[in-house]
Amino acid sequence: MAYAAAIPRVQFVTRETDAELIQRAGDGDRGAFEALYRRYARPVFGLALRRLGDRGRAEDAVQETFASVWRSARTYRPERGPGAPWLYAVARNAIVDRSRGRTEVGADAPDHASDEPDPSERTEQSWVAWRVHRALEELPEREREVIALAYWSGLSQSEVAEFLGIPLGTVKTRTRAGLQRLADLLEGELE
Amino acid sequence: MADPRDFDELVGGDDLEPEEELRLRRVHDLLVQAGPPPDLPPALERIPDEATHAEIVQFPLLPRRRWAAAAVAAAALAAAAFGAGFLVGDRGGSASDVDAVRVVPMHGAGGALASIRLGKRDEVGNWPMEFVVSGLAQQPEGAYYTLYLTRDGKPRIVCGYFRVGSHTTTVRFTVPYKLRKGERWVVTYQPKGVHDPGRIVLST
Repeated sequence: MAYAAAIPRVQFVTRETDAELIQRAGDGDRGAFEALYRRYARPVFGLALRRLGDRGRAEDAVQETFASVWRSARTYRPERGPGAPWLYAVARNAIVDRSRGRTEVGADAPDHASDEPDPSERTEQSWVAWRVHRALEELPEREREVIALAYWSGLSQSEVAEFLGIPLGTVKTRTRAGLQRLADLLEGELE
Repeated sequence: MADPRDFDELVGGDDLEPEEELRLRRVHDLLVQAGPPPDLPPALERIPDEATHAEIVQFPLLPRRRWAAAAVAAAALAAAAFGAGFLVGDRGGSASDVDAVRVVPMHGAGGALASIRLGKRDEVGNWPMEFVVSGLAQQPEGAYYTLYLTRDGKPRIVCGYFRVGSHTTTVRFTVPYKLRKGERWVVTYQPKGVHDPGRIVLST
């Protein structure tokens, strides 16, 4: 619920690819940099929050990530790959830098297998969340709002309809339209 | 109650082609796996100006984490001053006449806040600038404040001089300098008779 209420009321208008925006930012184009920020601020913050577990440190990591993007966008080479993995790597590095020194010294080694995901699973989960959250930023607000409420608020669709003051059929239509749009955006994830 | 995240409940797949249903089910699974995006803190709702100035040496007036909060407060200060038409230094004005292309927050010790609204450079190279400040100590007779651009981290280039009142003060300057990446603004306090850059009381 909180997420839906906090969705910025700014429509995402630029259709440029991440790679194009990174290249323009590398040439000092602040507008392109701001477009990247709008697309990626939430995924970066989410990644940082999962890794660092502290909102203040995660905020710092977001600032450091985008400072790094601004500084190093000129080094991005589109022929080596799309923009999203490059940005993910920049964010991960900034977050790792921030998390250094947090390891507790003297802790006993665990004597049994942990239920926590292993590092490769965590990386996989982080990458999925990164792509999904990035794709959500592309949805029209009315679809994003319905999906956020349907998936993460705990409300049933009837309750979502009541909450938004729209017919149940509209909720279902928007949910399906949003999923279809996400499927297009996440094509690589669906292989 | 049924799980609200049940695919059939959410999407209803009766009328879908099997291939399309499979595609949407995969998206559904990804959404469940990813979990909700976090709420962005207010300080991150807009791009921190600091991000594009990261290579600049910070003046240690505020812990870095509080910078974004200061930016929000400075922006609010500017908005409040302009919204109220409260323009000391231009008694005839009712709202900012600088069409800002960039707003730069400043912060200082003791809760002092300021914002610089930088207008569009004219055809001959003049930048209009509107400076709104609150929280600076009122100066004794003969003393004043100076807004500087920095070079190499030190106040070098004068943008203008001003005095402050008891509330919010707004002054306008025009500067012909070409702004370079890496430059910051600072405000120094100039005691009476001191003309070299004094103590820094505000910085970007």
